[in-house]
Amino acid sequence: MYSFIAGIFILPVIVSGLLLFLPSKAAKILVIFSAVVLSAISVYLFIQVDQPFYFSVPHYINEIVAGADILLLLYFGFVAIRKKSLLVGVMTVLQLGGLLYLLKILPPAESMQFMVDKLSAAMFMLINIISGIIAIYSLRYIEEEDCSSFRKKYFMSIMFWFIAVMNMIVSSDNLEYFFLFFELTTLASFLFIGFRKDQESVGNAITALWMNQIGGLAILVAIFFIHYNGYGEATFSNLLTHGSATGILLPLAFMSIAALIKGAQMPFSKWLLGAMVAPTPVSALLHSSTMVKIAPFIILRLSPVIKDTPVATVIIALTGFVFVAAAVVSLSQDNLKRILAHSTIGLLALMIMMAAIATPVTIIASLVLILFHGISKCMLFLNAGVLERVFHLKQTSDMDKLGEVGPYTSLAVTIGFMSLLLPPFGAFVGKWLSYLTLGAFLQEQRVFGALVIVFVAIGGAVFSLLYFKVMGTLISRTGNNDHIEFEHTGKIYKTIINLLMVMIVLCMVGLPYLLTHLFSPVAADLVGSHIPIVTEGWNYYIGAMKLPMVPLLVAFFLLPVTIVAAMFVQFKKVDRAKEYMCGEKINYSFSSFYFTTDKAAPYFSTVGILFFIALIAVALI
Amino acid sequence: MNNLLIPVLLIILAPFIGGLVYGFERIVKARMQRRIGPPLLQPFYDFLKLADKRRMIVHSAHAFFGIMHFVSLWFAVGVLLMGGDLILVVFLHLLSSSLMILAGYSTRSIFSHLGANRTAMTLLAYEPVLILIAVSIYLVTGSFDVSSVYKMDQPLLYKLPLAFIALLLILPIKMKKSPFDVAEAHQEVVGGVELEFSGIFFEAVYTAKWLDYVFCYTLVYMFAGSNVLLGIGLMVFTFLYLNALDNSSARVNYRQMLRFSLGVACSLAFINLLIHSIF
Amino acid sequence: MKLASFRKKSPWILHYNAGGCNGCDIEILACLAPKYDIERFGMINTGNPKQSDILLVTGPVTKRSRERLVEIYDQMPEPKVVISCGACASTGGVFRGMYNCEGGIDQFIPVDVYVCGCGTRPEQIIDGVVQALGILEKKTKELEESVRLSKKPVQEGRQLNRRNIADEIKPLVS
Repeated sequence: MYSFIAGIFILPVIVSGLLLFLPSKAAKILVIFSAVVLSAISVYLFIQVDQPFYFSVPHYINEIVAGADILLLLYFGFVAIRKKSLLVGVMTVLQLGGLLYLLKILPPAESMQFMVDKLSAAMFMLINIISGIIAIYSLRYIEEEDCSSFRKKYFMSIMFWFIAVMNMIVSSDNLEYFFLFFELTTLASFLFIGFRKDQESVGNAITALWMNQIGGLAILVAIFFIHYNGYGEATFSNLLTHGSATGILLPLAFMSIAALIKGAQMPFSKWLLGAMVAPTPVSALLHSSTMVKIAPFIILRLSPVIKDTPVATVIIALTGFVFVAAAVVSLSQDNLKRILAHSTIGLLALMIMMAAIATPVTIIASLVLILFHGISKCMLFLNAGVLERVFHLKQTSDMDKLGEVGPYTSLAVTIGFMSLLLPPFGAFVGKWLSYLTLGAFLQEQRVFGALVIVFVAIGGAVFSLLYFKVMGTLISRTGNNDHIEFEHTGKIYKTIINLLMVMIVLCMVGLPYLLTHLFSPVAADLVGSHIPIVTEGWNYYIGAMKLPMVPLLVAFFLLPVTIVAAMFVQFKKVDRAKEYMCGEKINYSFSSFYFTTDKAAPYFSTVGILFFIALIAVALI
Repeated sequence: MNNLLIPVLLIILAPFIGGLVYGFERIVKARMQRRIGPPLLQPFYDFLKLADKRRMIVHSAHAFFGIMHFVSLWFAVGVLLMGGDLILVVFLHLLSSSLMILAGYSTRSIFSHLGANRTAMTLLAYEPVLILIAVSIYLVTGSFDVSSVYKMDQPLLYKLPLAFIALLLILPIKMKKSPFDVAEAHQEVVGGVELEFSGIFFEAVYTAKWLDYVFCYTLVYMFAGSNVLLGIGLMVFTFLYLNALDNSSARVNYRQMLRFSLGVACSLAFINLLIHSIF
Repeated sequence: MKLASFRKKSPWILHYNAGGCNGCDIEILACLAPKYDIERFGMINTGNPKQSDILLVTGPVTKRSRERLVEIYDQMPEPKVVISCGACASTGGVFRGMYNCEGGIDQFIPVDVYVCGCGTRPEQIIDGVVQALGILEKKTKELEESVRLSKKPVQEGRQLNRRNIADEIKPLVS
């Protein structure tokens, strides 16, 4: 097993290095090969890992990590000077100071630095499979990018670098290591966002850099408090054993802040929105499988201790608020990628909320959301890339002819949006579980629970309005030609989108299997007790929650099958009549409602900042 | 076996019952306006006539969405009548509405688009309230299942009076009755999403409206719990209230509708939830 | 019992004003009002050609409304009947021979019932509709072509495309 874990760490690094030099033909084969191998290893690891598996690395690695930390921070300092960014400079100085101080006071790490448990293994699967798909997709995408051939290789190289770092971050137990990998993901996203090198890209990359550096700083502060409170070594597993120790709230609060920043919650949502300027595979990567998924991951890791603390309360309140705020702001957006980004922020809020409530069922809900959101968002973003490259469309209001020129892409986007919204798709099941468990949460936390439910209900409804708005522009077409022919978008594009659609359908059909074999063991590992999933007739019981499977199975035939069948169904012996326009023959242009809700965004940010202050305040008290 | 018989019968007969309610409603509405009104079976005459028309569509996908709207709504009604999970019922209803909205958007028809836009707005108006009601019911009964409501010794109405009022306030939105009939608005957008359907394809949309009656009145009946007499009373009251409101009020625009529903109905349901969860 | 017998039990009406003085239109609306209450016969004023059986036209056909009239007529599914309501719709009435009017709807679409009067009385309209119902019951689902068409519906496979029938109806008055 050790060798496999080492493989999943080292293989992407080697691939990343090789990609810089290999000619494009060989690079193509290498990328596809390594994506398949990494996915296979991750699945194998998930099957194999039963108990948390600790392992340490040789001592000299400790020194290398410390050295890498300092080098990285020096690089950030260099960026700050070159781009003349005061914020990055200040953050770097603070981080460097904090790091050097910690290195001085902390005893050398004795215990295991890495831990692979069920959660890590599940994250491995998400990271490697989805990122592998995105990597194959970007082979084609980056070919058409307007840049030198070295930068194209460089792009693919960072992608695998990112995968390697993500694999390491989800399996690191030691917080010093965690800090390094956290900063490395920040670095990778910084390089990615600034990839196009124009003024906007560079500006947004800087924003992403300093915002994520705050997260890094928060981790350093958390490490300091762990040491200061005398809990022993700064590791996750050590932190989990000090559930009721005094002063535990401070490190928890700072770790949560790091998570919330990575998860682009409200005042810090700007970096994720700014990441839109990068090539589309980057957005897909950041939103679906890497980067932002660190946020629910951290909270899930800490869920046993964070549960029922004031910190959890503030996190739940913040995320409930962000869920609505992101939905409301997204109504005013026209750019497809920005709409998707807002919905990511909203759904991340839901995942973090579920993880922070931390009952067995909410943890399952959170995991379900993480997985299915990963697949759906990946498909939506990759489709956005196709729209950009093949159809040269970015704004949703320009997409009203897509139903005629690109029915296949419009179908794929429609299914993607549906899968975030309606039964029987996985993301819906996640939402449904959320509602079910919020009911139980309400019985414990009376007034507060009621407020959260109102937020989630309204946010969910606003999101459904948003998705309908987008789907509406995508699917409209005239009756002139009833016979639909799917367009050719390109071999790689089509294969990847098909693959993702098949994955969505498979996950949907295999949901009962996934519940018992994937989500339940992971959650059981986190909660520490077995979560009974009982089949009784056609109903599934997760703990006390009942999931009737028959309606879901029927809904499968109603919705996904309907949308696909609507493309192919042909009524014979039926006249084709013109659309009713009061007898007029003018060509109207269509659009859906416009909203001006983005004016509220600054207020939402202010409220978000207040929540963050509250988070620290409750920990101090 | 016996307690399964009634729901199954109800589900199979749901369109028929809904049609009767609709026919009766047209009479009551006419009488309120001092007219005589059509015969009771008028909806069924319409149904049979529509089956006999020459078939005409805009394009196949549009017609297909309409048919699937009917099927999925029937399924949602079925799950509700079988006493299924209320949240799931709300979402299945959302699914059926979504197919109708997609149908509206799928054509290049200006009124269809307007209707679909407005229908999406009505979804935003009533969905949160329904979910809040479902959660309130969970608080009272300890289960999201509708069947648990009928097992209670006390009607739900006594425990959740404000939620019932909230339901009464959103029912006109759901059933597209004045003053909240922006989605259908016959004089304004010629029926909205249902505009482009004709003949046998319109039939699906037309009968789906009857199913909506069954859906809404079942929701109302739910508040009486096991008390059948009270349930019938509530349904009759709701029926009269809806028709009186429909006859006596003018249409408001969708902003006013949204403000009212999210402002008044949603807060009523929330206050009820709060009161119940504190005491 | 044949389905055709239900046609007369639920005739849905589409009302189109082809450029008249609104006199007849007000009388049509009076039919819906409590005094005459045509809904008791199951009639509904739908305002939507795709769901209507009876086309109730008022006013002489102005040049502007010519194409709209044929377009709307073609969007009604068969079987359907046309009632020309009032003197203007039937013959052109007082507007006959004016430079902007074509005069009489029967020059563009086949008319089944002519109702006289300027404006028509509600009783007359109801009489006309009742007469039209008899015709409606006898009609078949075959396509009825409007008069003076410039385009025919196109057969594509087993589907009849009637989308562009009403394009460029030639005017009578030049």
